[in-house]
Amino acid sequence: MNALFGLSGCALLCLAVIASSVRLDGRAIRIRYAILVAAAILLFVPVGGLPVVAYVRGVTGDLSAATLALAAGTLVSCFTGRAVVEPRERNALLWAVAAASLFLYPFALGWTPFDPYALGYGSPVFTTALLLVTLAAWRAGLKLVVAVVLLGALACLVGLYESRNLWDYLIDPLAFAYALLKPAAALVRRRAVGGELAA
Amino acid sequence: MSAPLKWLSLAAIALVFAGLYARALDAPQPEGFVPPHGAARAASPKPWYKAQLLPSSTQSVHSATAAELRDGTLRAFWYGGTREGAPDVAIYTSVYSPKDGTWSAERAVMTRELAQRSLSRSIRKLGNPVAGRDRSGRLCLFFVSVSVGGWAGSAINLMTSEDEGETWSPPKRLVASPFFNISTLVKGAPLLLSGGTLALPVYHEFLGKFGEMLRLDGEARVIGKTRLSWGASSLQPVVVPRSDSDAVAFMRYAGNPPGRVLLSRTGDAGAHWTEPVKTALPNPNSAVGSVLLAGGPLVLAFNDAVADRESLSLALSADFGNSWRVARQLEGESVSPRAPVSEYSYPWIMQDRSGDVHVLYTWGRSRIKHVVFNRAWLEGGR
Repeated sequence: MNALFGLSGCALLCLAVIASSVRLDGRAIRIRYAILVAAAILLFVPVGGLPVVAYVRGVTGDLSAATLALAAGTLVSCFTGRAVVEPRERNALLWAVAAASLFLYPFALGWTPFDPYALGYGSPVFTTALLLVTLAAWRAGLKLVVAVVLLGALACLVGLYESRNLWDYLIDPLAFAYALLKPAAALVRRRAVGGELAA
Repeated sequence: MSAPLKWLSLAAIALVFAGLYARALDAPQPEGFVPPHGAARAASPKPWYKAQLLPSSTQSVHSATAAELRDGTLRAFWYGGTREGAPDVAIYTSVYSPKDGTWSAERAVMTRELAQRSLSRSIRKLGNPVAGRDRSGRLCLFFVSVSVGGWAGSAINLMTSEDEGETWSPPKRLVASPFFNISTLVKGAPLLLSGGTLALPVYHEFLGKFGEMLRLDGEARVIGKTRLSWGASSLQPVVVPRSDSDAVAFMRYAGNPPGRVLLSRTGDAGAHWTEPVKTALPNPNSAVGSVLLAGGPLVLAFNDAVADRESLSLALSADFGNSWRVARQLEGESVSPRAPVSEYSYPWIMQDRSGDVHVLYTWGRSRIKHVVFNRAWLEGGR
């Protein structure tokens, strides 16, 4: 069962990447459906005894709620041509992912005796910190951040993946990379547009 | 957000966090080590020693491990293939009968293809196996697999056997790292804890080299971990307990010269470990093996050189690692025959229920060698 959820998550990520790569929103609705269905089928076609998506899972492992939320948002946006997540909400999630990643990943590399990853196995302190962040997000009306925390925590509680560590359900390096690259790409685009206007 | 939805989401937060707090408060309590068995038969006063190469059909073999079976035989595992890291590398097993002094024909228990089918993810290569037992007496086999990149991209898997290694459960993936779960490897034996969970010494090799102790529940899920070391110079921990609270960990040293075997201690059953210190024993960036014999002393199998793996020796410590005496040389200039490739590495050392001591190690990268001896032979050395 763990494998099914893991593979499904990777398939969602692949579909989001495909949808944004082929500029789905510029095509007729029937074509959009056809592309997505064909891509979904291809992802589960066995190659060398394994479905294609299992090769993706071999690289990425099981994906966090943050990555899945971003992938789902991208997929729906590409399909409908409308942004389903407000920029404010999306940016708040990216900031939260970046902040959590900067706390987790450098220490998880083993450079110090402190290991924040170990907190994810069931620490009251970590749970309290996460609760405070979630309540702050709820009060600020940041629905996406709240949804990601709740879905990740729920998935961890029911043991959706192989991991028992809450961190693995909340964030992953893909979400962190996206949180870093998205603002950087936007900045580059803005500068390019600014340059064109100045010229 | 509409008011009902807002309060509904607050209720959801309360419910989910109640679950998280319940999980945190229900977290497994610290457990003590189960010290090594003390029921070994009185050792024969006459020293004896036997050595032989295990059967092997592959060009290259490495990283032997073993567990004593209920009938007193010994089941060994190792990985073999055309070369280390090749796609055809599989985990092999063979059984040693002390009565006959012979090893059975080898057979593969895990292949790359079987691993990737069972784990529903691509696997590029297999690596170190480690054998042990869980609380219900099942034989456990941990093994390393890599999906992407080199050994730094490793993850650990576990399969179990109810029939002493004849048949095996499908492997399960242990998740122990937040970086796509890569960079966790195993070399040291698992330890059974007093509450029934397992402690597994592991190490990481992604942008650093350090050891950790994972804690596994009865369903082979990682439920906690403690850092044994940190930085970029210690790996392949081997943990040896002597009481329910005290243990020592030895680690391979991968830092700046001089290379020495690293040592760390715990006095609270692994909740905390001292900063690793260099022992007086040399270490040419190679794995060590260790066992506490029933009634002492502590034995360490190690490469007795700072630059190569051309010698393999046994050192004894009567004070649990504070001081050492090199007792025997298993491989070296004076020992023949020499392997075509003069490398003797990755020792696995254990004491069986009868008190005999077994050492398995990689012999010239082409064979696994097994030496077995009694205590009188070990302690009668130089």
